[in-house]
Amino acid sequence: MANTACFIIVSRNDIPIYEAEVGSAPKEEAAHQHQFILHAALDIVQDLAWTTSAMFLKAVERFNDLVVSVYVTAGHTRLMLLHDSRNEDGIKSFFQEVHELYIKILLNPLYLSGSRITSSHFDTKVRALARKYL
Amino acid sequence: MEDYPEELRTPPVSLVSLVGCPELHQAISAFLHSEQPPINTLALPDFSKISVLARKQKDPLASTPAAAGILKRDWLLKHRTKIPAVAAALFSSEQVTGDPAQWLQLCTDLENLKAVLRGRSTKLVVVLMQRSVNDEVSEDLMIALRKRAEIDPKHLIVFVQNDASELRISLNRLASIFAELCNTYYREEGRKIKVRIEKKSFTSIELNIRYCFKAAIYAEFRRDWTEALRFYEDGYRALREMIGTSTRLPPIQRLVEIKAVAEQLHFKISTLLLHGGKVVEAITWFNKHIAAYERLVGEPEIAFLHWEWLSRQFLVFAELLETSSAAIPSTVSPRFGTSENPLTDWEFQPAYYYQLAANHLREKRYCLECSTSVPEYSELSSTVGGVPESVMLSAYVGQYARLFEEGNTNTVLPLSDSEYVSYARMEARRFQDTYEIIALFRKAYESFSGLKASRIASYCSNRMAREYFIAKDFNNAKQLFDGVACLYRQEGWVTLLWESLGYLRECSRRLGSAKDFVEYSLEMAALPIFSDLGPENSENKRDYGPAGPATHSMRQRVQEEVFSLLKGEHVPVTTDGSCVLHVTEDEPIRVDIDLVSPLRVAFLASVAFHDQSVKPGSPTMITVSLLSQLPCPIEVDQLEIQFNQSTCNFIIVNAHKFPSTEKFAEDDQRSLVESAPSLTLSSNKWLRLTSEVKSGQSGKLECLSVSAKIGHSFMISCRAESPASMEDLPLWKFEEWLESFPTKDPGLAFYGQKVIQVEEPEPQVDLILSTTGPALVGEKFIVPVTVESKGHAVHSGELKINLVDARGGGMLMSPRDAESFSSDRRHVELLNISGIPDEDESQTDSDNVRKIQHSFGVVSVPVLGVGESWSSKLEIKWHRPKSVMLYVSLGYYTNSTEAASQRVNVHRSLQIEGKIPIIISHRFMMPFRQEPLLLSKVKALPGYEHRVSLAVNETSILIVSARNCSEVPLRLPSMSIEMDDDDDSQNSCSVQHIGGISDDPVLLVPGEEFKGVFSVTPHVDTLNLDVGTVCINWTRDSKLGSEPQDSIIVTKQRLPDVKSEKPPIVVNLECPAHAILGVPFSFYVRVRNLTSLLQEIKYSLGDSQSFVFCGPHNDAAFILPKAEHLISYELVPLGSGPQQLPHITISSVRYSAALNPTAAESTIFVYPSEPKFNTEESK
Repeated sequence: MANTACFIIVSRNDIPIYEAEVGSAPKEEAAHQHQFILHAALDIVQDLAWTTSAMFLKAVERFNDLVVSVYVTAGHTRLMLLHDSRNEDGIKSFFQEVHELYIKILLNPLYLSGSRITSSHFDTKVRALARKYL
Repeated sequence: MEDYPEELRTPPVSLVSLVGCPELHQAISAFLHSEQPPINTLALPDFSKISVLARKQKDPLASTPAAAGILKRDWLLKHRTKIPAVAAALFSSEQVTGDPAQWLQLCTDLENLKAVLRGRSTKLVVVLMQRSVNDEVSEDLMIALRKRAEIDPKHLIVFVQNDASELRISLNRLASIFAELCNTYYREEGRKIKVRIEKKSFTSIELNIRYCFKAAIYAEFRRDWTEALRFYEDGYRALREMIGTSTRLPPIQRLVEIKAVAEQLHFKISTLLLHGGKVVEAITWFNKHIAAYERLVGEPEIAFLHWEWLSRQFLVFAELLETSSAAIPSTVSPRFGTSENPLTDWEFQPAYYYQLAANHLREKRYCLECSTSVPEYSELSSTVGGVPESVMLSAYVGQYARLFEEGNTNTVLPLSDSEYVSYARMEARRFQDTYEIIALFRKAYESFSGLKASRIASYCSNRMAREYFIAKDFNNAKQLFDGVACLYRQEGWVTLLWESLGYLRECSRRLGSAKDFVEYSLEMAALPIFSDLGPENSENKRDYGPAGPATHSMRQRVQEEVFSLLKGEHVPVTTDGSCVLHVTEDEPIRVDIDLVSPLRVAFLASVAFHDQSVKPGSPTMITVSLLSQLPCPIEVDQLEIQFNQSTCNFIIVNAHKFPSTEKFAEDDQRSLVESAPSLTLSSNKWLRLTSEVKSGQSGKLECLSVSAKIGHSFMISCRAESPASMEDLPLWKFEEWLESFPTKDPGLAFYGQKVIQVEEPEPQVDLILSTTGPALVGEKFIVPVTVESKGHAVHSGELKINLVDARGGGMLMSPRDAESFSSDRRHVELLNISGIPDEDESQTDSDNVRKIQHSFGVVSVPVLGVGESWSSKLEIKWHRPKSVMLYVSLGYYTNSTEAASQRVNVHRSLQIEGKIPIIISHRFMMPFRQEPLLLSKVKALPGYEHRVSLAVNETSILIVSARNCSEVPLRLPSMSIEMDDDDDSQNSCSVQHIGGISDDPVLLVPGEEFKGVFSVTPHVDTLNLDVGTVCINWTRDSKLGSEPQDSIIVTKQRLPDVKSEKPPIVVNLECPAHAILGVPFSFYVRVRNLTSLLQEIKYSLGDSQSFVFCGPHNDAAFILPKAEHLISYELVPLGSGPQQLPHITISSVRYSAALNPTAAESTIFVYPSEPKFNTEESK
């Protein structure tokens, strides 16, 4: 499992709708420092997302030893992970499974698309996936 | 990059030395320098100076000492400026061909030079200067010279100075020889070094690195970049091996040296790669370099050195990338993150490295602060007792030494690690890292902004702001944080916004701006943050910034803090306590919240009227709803609701705090005061207050703002919003929270408006318009207007009259017509408004408005008491038949003071038809039984077919008929034909009135026709004969009309032009007016020839049942010019009554035209017997 990993889902209107610190290491830096990096990486994702049909954009930015990997869904919701491990396959699987979870959230008729995901079940599942793949 | 020495930054340039003939040095050096590749020259004016080329004398017996360092600091400079690859001895030809003494001197000089160069492989070239081509030196002397110099024949160059073309050739020759020899020299030197590397004939790894470096430099001299790159990389690799093995220096300095050398080698490698256009390789190499050295090892005390070094690597690389940035786009494939291109987009941007350099520099500053602030770490330096003096750079790259002065001798002593550390720390402290960091972030920020990457730019901006904050430049910090917060607010990154607002709040606290502090605090407290991480970890203070972690409890704390400040307590002071905020009653804080303010989340006011419209002065219900997302409940003391009509404003006070409202009533006479049991705003819960408002004046009543007064010195003024058009709270929109309506009635929540329409009061004044049927074109049509007061007195009344085309289109004239002011263009015109009592004074009385335009008029109405009335007449003139809407509106005040009372409006409209009163038609006739032969009737001229022809000098009859087509009887006093005033028309035609008009005005009932008879005699032969204009004076019949109308209206109609021509022949039928049965009478046909030609005519008379006649049936006759021919018949009528005369046909042979009299002309009445007219009775 990665030492540092900050996972965030950004809605199509650039608002973070889910955030989680999923790293195993004790927190060295506060969550918002990671968020600063992830927010800055949105710029590059914005350009990159339209150049490829693939959903998994792999590593889009590097910040010192931290890497930002991004997965863009068809609805232009961006799953962003800031991590220090280089296990690309694991990250890809993680993204795919979280995407599935996210779709399940979307199918909930009471969930308004683009609003914050507050489901504790979702949170638990994401953390479990992070433990499994990262 | 500027810190590096010049020789390292630029590619090395070959060096040659010129000795002797100083007058030519200038030309030769300039030429060599401009060559491609350039060659630098070391010019020595004469042979006495050659000692500078000499080698340092070494004791050959002394064993080579162990290397004291890796690279010598001055080695490269020495090779670039002191040790030439070629030495050229310049001799003039006189010295060779001159007397033996000169030759001897020359030989000595050569020998000396050779001696100096001995031991080096510097090439020797002898240049023989000749003034001109003819100035040749003999072959023998040349050979002798060459032998003396021990050089190849081609290295003896003849240089011709005086001829321009020859000089050029000589210079070229010189340059090519020099270039060749330089190349050879550097290759040889390089080979010598390479042999040492290959044979591994070095005693230490330091030497290996040094050799690699030298070999690479020699390769660079030869411009063999590939080989240079290879050796630099070899050297770099060897250096990596040295880490951990070398023990030559104390551990700290050892690492410092290795890093310095690595930096130099890396710099060379990056430069070569980038200049070769291999951007991807350069970046990959840089990443490797950073990966190899970024791990922090060694004493934590000097960690700052590491970060400084790392920051410098990034900065230098960014600068390198920036200077060679032109080559980037073409070489880079667009797809990043793939196996063949593992680099990300930003890694090609210098800004990325600037930003990282700045980050590392921050790290350095942090470490430096730690190492100086924590005393136990500084034991190393304390043992020595301070910073050693006169520390300087030693002869080797990355090493430092102490200069020790003892009398006149200076000794260089090595430093101990502790001495070095204190030295380095002192040096580091001299730098203002903060400003360096800001500059780097600014560079990155500008670059990213240029790339339209606003988010990463704002990241840089955020960092910059933090540096300003650290540097206590709060103004700049606040400005930058404001910009950053704006983006985060817009994109809804709440945590980041929290962080930025925390800084902003702190900045305003330091700047002493209580208002800003309150605003930022309120915004922070109202952010949608719910997480609670438990107790705050004080170690993370550095990461969190002044805001602390974004938690729900922090929100509460922020709110408590700000409200305690507003209650007059002091804010918990910051660590240094430099600035204390306080709020007093004298300087209350007022926060304005508009529709786009981020503080809407803290305080939102929604106002809805329960009705859409209301009668003036009657009460209506209004609901004021307030919402706050602040975590703790707020107790509002007083709410002030303001409207656009200030009389409606009212205040709601907290009954809890102010049990009696009397106090307010005294304070504020004008506003209504109500009290509510509780004015406490809980988080995310609408506070709904419904009260009654008495509507004021008619028009719009709009709630402008709701101001909440909290405590004595704080007021939030919030723009009122309609529930119908209220936008969601920006950050809370997507949160999962219970959304409720601002009003209990859901209908009102969706459609409620903060605006209500106050209706106009009912007018109690009547406005009467009346007409007498349709208007007639041309007349001044009078429309009486009456204003009757039935319950209201009329003050400052104003009557507005407007004429509009009834069929739509509004204007009664086209815009183009409006430009020209000719009155006939306008179809309907408002002429005058009569009946204003003080019409004459209207010019002097400015209050009395009277303004009339073509279709619009304004008049003022005098003051009328209740029951009084006033009337006026509108005079409208129609120029064309048209249907018109007449709109009349009366606006008045019920009271004499305009401000106090309301304006009331009464509107009336009336449709009026405009009609043509009389239709005029006309007809031309010849006199009875007279027919001129008009040739145009025989053969019509094109274009004039339809025009009536009249015979010149013959009298024609014109009958004008006027028909009353209106619905009212009209009187016609006169009808006349007016000729145009000009003389031509007067002369060309004479028109006389014959009859039809009696002296009394003729009465024409609707549909009746009136005829006037005129005789017309044209005098000239023309195609366009102006006959004149019919003028009919008419007036409405006063007996039938309600009012006498004296004015006579003239209707004019121009008669169309006619043709007049001379008839060649005129035929008159002459017979008595009547005949008597059985009594014979004569019937003559008189034919006049009006031409000067002989005219032949044929005529025939047909038989008739009613008559017997004697005379020729058929005959022909010749008529002399200007003569007449009389054909006479004697007729006896056989039947009584109107009888047709025998049909006579007269034809002109010349014009082949026949003349047939019409039936009317050839009818005669036959009495059965002699009639007896009783003339007396008839009288």
